[in-house]
Amino acid sequence: MTLTFQSVRVATEYDEEGMLVFNGNRRLVAVLTRLSEQNEIAPGQWFLEAGFGRLGGISHPTFANLETAQVWINQRLVHQN
Amino acid sequence: MTVRPSASHNLMIRKLESIVSLSDEEKQALRGLPIQVTSLKTDSDIVRVGDRPSHSFLLVAGFTCVYKLTAEGKRQIVAFHVPGDMPDLHSLHLKVMDTSMATVTPCTIGFIQHEALIQICDRYPRISAAFWRETLVDASIFREWMTGIGRREAYNRMAHLLCEFQVRLSAVGLAEDDTFDLPITQTELADAIGASNVHVNRILQELRANGLIRTSGTQVNVPDWQKLKEAGDFDPLYLHLRQD
Repeated sequence: MTLTFQSVRVATEYDEEGMLVFNGNRRLVAVLTRLSEQNEIAPGQWFLEAGFGRLGGISHPTFANLETAQVWINQRLVHQN
Repeated sequence: MTVRPSASHNLMIRKLESIVSLSDEEKQALRGLPIQVTSLKTDSDIVRVGDRPSHSFLLVAGFTCVYKLTAEGKRQIVAFHVPGDMPDLHSLHLKVMDTSMATVTPCTIGFIQHEALIQICDRYPRISAAFWRETLVDASIFREWMTGIGRREAYNRMAHLLCEFQVRLSAVGLAEDDTFDLPITQTELADAIGASNVHVNRILQELRANGLIRTSGTQVNVPDWQKLKEAGDFDPLYLHLRQD
């Protein structure tokens, strides 16, 4: 599935730089935020801030870059859970 | 190494006395329990799901957790234990372990054979009741955590957990002037409150920014106990500490 990304500012009060992720039908499936370079947990990585539908579970992984985020999101969208 | 009587016995007695009163004779009997003391590194399993232990353990120093793994390999920590606790005391009667228990710091553990525990319980019904009460309080803690994981926000759950540590460590003399040592990683805290470690990191920052905690290394200081209790929706009733 072809995902599209759209930059957005997210009011997390911590890491604002974000990305809306849409599926092939232009439906919002996830909101990613980029953790700051000072973050103690995963500096500079992308964090699944919120997911919808099949991404709406309790998993909130971090990704080294948007490509790995895209692979993970696609896998989740294709396979149930 | 069998130690008797020892600091381990005194710690066990101090812990039990935080929830029940014991006579001199009962304390003397507890001091006679053979305890095999051993040291374990961080992240060592003490007992695992499916084990049939022939002994229970007394946590003498350090912190341990009770956890379960999902089929996907995700860990939920369902309780932490602090020195003085006997986390798998219930294995005396429930023969097969249904949870695993592991160290989260370097620990000193004292193993006590079930046979010795059964003997002391047979001779001293009030010690038997004290052990029963200890496991009932564990169950009460699980209920409190379940309420938090199901219905409290992650920020409140973390405040609640810190309040719980403060009260439990105080009961065995391990918290002073509203300061206690909490050498538990953010990943472990995340597995305990059911949030991601990124969220836990933000929550700790927020608790600090709001003046509810001060941290220095692994030391946690609570400058305003009342405020932290309110943030955690914390009522220590569920810990059933002795009131007298």
